[in-house]
Amino acid sequence: MELKIALAGNPNSGKTTLFNSLTGSSQYVGNWPGVTVEKKEGRLKGNKEVVIQDLPGIYSLSPYTLEEVVSRTYLVTQKPDAILNIVDGTNIERNLYLTTQLLELGLPTVVAVNMMDLVRKNGDQIDLNKLGRALGCEAVEMSALKSQGSIEAANKAVEAARAKKANGPLRMYTGCVEKAISQIETVISDKVDAQYLRWYAVKLFERDEKVLEELRLTGSVKQDVENAAVACEKELDDDAESIITNQRYDFISGIVAKAVKKKREKHGLSASDKIDQIVTNRILALPVFAVIMFAIYAIAMGGYPFSIGTMGTDWVNDVLFGEIVPGALDSILGVLHVEGALYGLIQDGIVAGVGAVLGFVPQILVLFFFLAILEDIGYMARVAFIMDRIFRRFGLSGKSFIPMLVATGCGVPGIMASRTIEQDRDRKMTIMTTGFIPCGAKMPIIGLFAGAVFGGSSLVAVSAFFIGIAAVVISGIMLKKFKAFAGEPAPFVMELPAYHLPSAGNVLRATWERGWSFIKRAGTVILLSSIVLWFLQGFGFTDGSFGMVEDNNTSLLAAIGNAVAWIFAPLGWVGDMAWKATVATVTGLIAKEEVVNTFGVLYHYAGELSETGDEVWNLIAADFTALSAYSFMIFNLLCAPCFAAMGAIKREMNNTKWTLGAIGYMCGFAYVIALIVYQLGGLITGEVGFNIFTIAALAALAALIYLLFRKGYQPDGHYSVNAKMSASAR
Amino acid sequence: MMPLTMARRGETVTIQGITGKDEVRQHLVELGFLVNGEITVVNRIGGNFILQVKDGRVALDRSMANRIMI
Repeated sequence: MELKIALAGNPNSGKTTLFNSLTGSSQYVGNWPGVTVEKKEGRLKGNKEVVIQDLPGIYSLSPYTLEEVVSRTYLVTQKPDAILNIVDGTNIERNLYLTTQLLELGLPTVVAVNMMDLVRKNGDQIDLNKLGRALGCEAVEMSALKSQGSIEAANKAVEAARAKKANGPLRMYTGCVEKAISQIETVISDKVDAQYLRWYAVKLFERDEKVLEELRLTGSVKQDVENAAVACEKELDDDAESIITNQRYDFISGIVAKAVKKKREKHGLSASDKIDQIVTNRILALPVFAVIMFAIYAIAMGGYPFSIGTMGTDWVNDVLFGEIVPGALDSILGVLHVEGALYGLIQDGIVAGVGAVLGFVPQILVLFFFLAILEDIGYMARVAFIMDRIFRRFGLSGKSFIPMLVATGCGVPGIMASRTIEQDRDRKMTIMTTGFIPCGAKMPIIGLFAGAVFGGSSLVAVSAFFIGIAAVVISGIMLKKFKAFAGEPAPFVMELPAYHLPSAGNVLRATWERGWSFIKRAGTVILLSSIVLWFLQGFGFTDGSFGMVEDNNTSLLAAIGNAVAWIFAPLGWVGDMAWKATVATVTGLIAKEEVVNTFGVLYHYAGELSETGDEVWNLIAADFTALSAYSFMIFNLLCAPCFAAMGAIKREMNNTKWTLGAIGYMCGFAYVIALIVYQLGGLITGEVGFNIFTIAALAALAALIYLLFRKGYQPDGHYSVNAKMSASAR
Repeated sequence: MMPLTMARRGETVTIQGITGKDEVRQHLVELGFLVNGEITVVNRIGGNFILQVKDGRVALDRSMANRIMI
């Protein structure tokens, strides 16, 4: 018989490590219905009948966060056969707060006390027998990082599930609280599942809005429930929610006093605190972070002898997709007598297109590997904290920083990383601005123009990063003044886990999950678009008949490019290069590195084009001026990201209107900035005369400045209250 | 009573009350911020804090620190 075991615990309690070691590779990752909270399940190693359902990391079962609502809905409606509750032994009091709520659900529960090795190292003792007896369920010890006790804990949960023995009732509430809850239990006993009676009674006592909504009590029942709560509130002179919280913590303190012996003096600095004195130091924090990031980028993407990411990428580009794959295909196609159009499609279309994308994989995997280490050891939480003070100035929270850091590798996992931001509007703003960060695939565009038009100046790449960051900052300030985003970013509250050594399993898994979202698109979107692109630029109407074309200026692609090129004329994309720049921008939507590829194809370069396309530099330099090259670069760096990233935006927004809004905003913003740079820059250098678009650019600039400095929408609430208070004070 | 923002690094203080919306208060309670409970300022950068709360470390920004009365 199939058994379902729910894995529940606080964030940073070691739940992910435990889940990974229990299920190994048999994981299924999806979303909880209707929301973008990740849902993971897997089968227990060595016992395929047992499904482990990983619940999001939560601190309680209150109705305030999405993660908590998802978890409790699952626990109440899906009735798992048992709960395996993982508890951080080094912070047991706080962790038991969730445990007491889980136990109220009346499901068979096993409490696994994690990090017991650290507890012992600190000289503390936890008596598991006493703990178990006080909680009325089995308590076992484990150390997920050292994979000690994990399987044993899972087996205990399986036993508990088979025995179907729920824990005994907890004597948690005292006096009038217990009385009130019992009263509520009596009046609702025929309305809810007997198993969950206590849970519902407590939630009704707290006036939990979701439960009130679900049960829709009416008439005398509703009145009785309310009366019971009000009587108790009067007696204790506190609100119901606080009453429950206090009694819970009192109950927990009682257990901890009995079962836990602490040796260490209470407020000494731990090793973790000492590290934090340096890495979160007011002066040193940013330099330390900059050095760490510089080292990571140097190893992943730099051109140094130790830059393993770059070496891997060179090998994939030059050897794997330069020689091995085309060579092998050549002989296979030769044997099969494939020639002509089909041969061209396979070699020039598919292999070249997909190969160009896969070339980035080594660099991106190395980058993600190091970011995963920083996350696993606990440093990323500190980075969010350090950055919060800076990001808050333009309306984002420190938690928005991590998605942007990931996006320097690839925007898709970057946008996906925005999930950890609790507040809806903060998350939406992060999704809308993360795409501005130059990702790995935009680097070749920068390299192409830096080399072709700007004499290889490294300032171009630096300016590209600044443009990306400036776009985030400007957008942050501007969007914050609209009603949809108005209001302070959510206050920053984040637990800082104690530093610990990284777990190889967690790091490799996280690296692979992010890397895979990049690789996957090479096999799907890019494969398909390579075929379409190859067809469009190889075929066309010549002399009234349709067929393969010699000169791609007469191809279907040129016809399409020419038809829409006028849109970009105000940005300085004029003359011979107009349709090529337009087509390159369109193919850039498939994948940003396609821009360089497309230029290679359109400028008639026959053969393999290097990553920065130096073979066509002269031709491009002849067509582009410095200013039009820069306007082209700006537009392509800021406009809608590739299809894969748009897909990620759609998944994370979970709403068509917001998705279109986000993409439209990015395109519009890119167009306006490129327009201002080209028209006003051109006026100064004398490249363009005063024309109607100069006025448009000036108007756009004025609008931008207005949107930046206007007063903006002020939400009701504490602003108006403050105003009143200061008025009366005067 | 004064807000936590007045506390210095290394100081251990007792929470007298928490102000603000129910949601915020509840979240602080879940993290272990209890009235009459003790917290220690491990580090502060500007108005932002790293605190020891029970046996964990929690980072707070100035606006949250202002809601905790000591």
